[in-house]
Amino acid sequence: MDIRVSFELNGAAVTTSVGPRERLIDVLRRTLGLTGTKEGCGEGECGACTVLVAGRAVNSCLFPAPEVDGQEVRTVEGLAEGGELSPIQRAFLEQGGVQCGFCSPGMVMSAVALLEENAEPTDAEIRAALLGNLCRCTGYVQIIDSIRAAASAAGEGGSR
Amino acid sequence: MSESRYHRPTNLREALELSAGEESVRFIAGGTELMLQLRPGAEPPPMHLISLRGVEELTGIETEGRLRIGASVPLTEVAAHPAVADGFPALASAILVLGSRQIRNVATMGGNLCHASPCADTAPPLLVHRASVELHGADGIRELPLEEFFQGAGVTALRSGELLVAVLLDPPPPGTRARYLRKGRVAMDLAMASVAALVHLDRGGNCVEARLAAGAVAPVPMRLRETERVLADGGFDPARLTEARAAAEAEIRPITDVRASAEYRRQLVGVFVERALGELFETGGRGE
Repeated sequence: MDIRVSFELNGAAVTTSVGPRERLIDVLRRTLGLTGTKEGCGEGECGACTVLVAGRAVNSCLFPAPEVDGQEVRTVEGLAEGGELSPIQRAFLEQGGVQCGFCSPGMVMSAVALLEENAEPTDAEIRAALLGNLCRCTGYVQIIDSIRAAASAAGEGGSR
Repeated sequence: MSESRYHRPTNLREALELSAGEESVRFIAGGTELMLQLRPGAEPPPMHLISLRGVEELTGIETEGRLRIGASVPLTEVAAHPAVADGFPALASAILVLGSRQIRNVATMGGNLCHASPCADTAPPLLVHRASVELHGADGIRELPLEEFFQGAGVTALRSGELLVAVLLDPPPPGTRARYLRKGRVAMDLAMASVAALVHLDRGGNCVEARLAAGAVAPVPMRLRETERVLADGGFDPARLTEARAAAEAEIRPITDVRASAEYRRQLVGVFVERALGELFETGGRGE
């Protein structure tokens, strides 16, 4: 049984069909071809698949696809504007927050959710927000540096 | 049944009707547990999934009189609600150590209880606050103390086709304080052991009532009634804390599994009981 879902994806209206037991990550990657969102563990532990639904970070590997109907979904593909990386993405590059890059889309989306809720997070708040995102290469210090740098750049009048 | 279906009812009557008479029905709220069972490569036979997200009666938190937490309210919202954060801080702190932000944004109040895991983080604080659950089914509505809702690991008192609609909490009397302590192997891990403690102190700092509950040390999250008896009616006294610790260690029934040995779990519970009570009596003595 296919289910029609209409939702907003990175600012654009999308209508598609999903299966009753399909996961949001498969709709994004397979049906819609947005492969920026990664699947790591597939069980809600690693956070590589993090996307925003209604402004909140969720694991797209655990999110039922039929539930995106009527929602606003944002993925890493929606961050850059006119070929320009968003300030958070740029900070990850400048601060060494990216190595192999597999965890980066999820890390970046968790950071976006955090900074939209709390523009000036403490290091402890950054760490708490990233608890559900695992990195196996850079380690976490550079990633925390990246988010702190993006927050302070925004605080100095730059736009995120 | 030849294929799976996904239903999105908008009210309780519709949700209960959809479940009636169907053989393979699963209610799905946040889905953080159920979607694991449905993931590619682990697919069980076809089933009817009845989504609870759109069911109006399960949403929202009401604060008139008793606190009523809708079963489908995501845990992030439960912890952030002022009535919970201010009135039931032990519950709020239990939620904030449960899983990751991504999980808490989706996982629901009702789901954490209906999954009936012995280590469910919301259970011990709800038990010490003597929470009730409101269950709706074809035969009507009934209210059950949460303690009776848990019947075994993964087993609840829910009858076929019955739904947990809300969690109910009476406002604690003045002078009530509660704490939740737990430990996982790492942050975000399931609890190896957890303890919630609640004391109701009079103005002189004497303990009018103490209630304790522990998680991950028995088939169900359990009240520590023997420990409570040790503490009933009396003031702060280090010797009583030692006695309470021994009582707690004696009445739990921990097992050894991949996360921890039974001996370690017993040790953790003892430390948590002593530490939580020590903190609660200390704040009470300062008249905070």
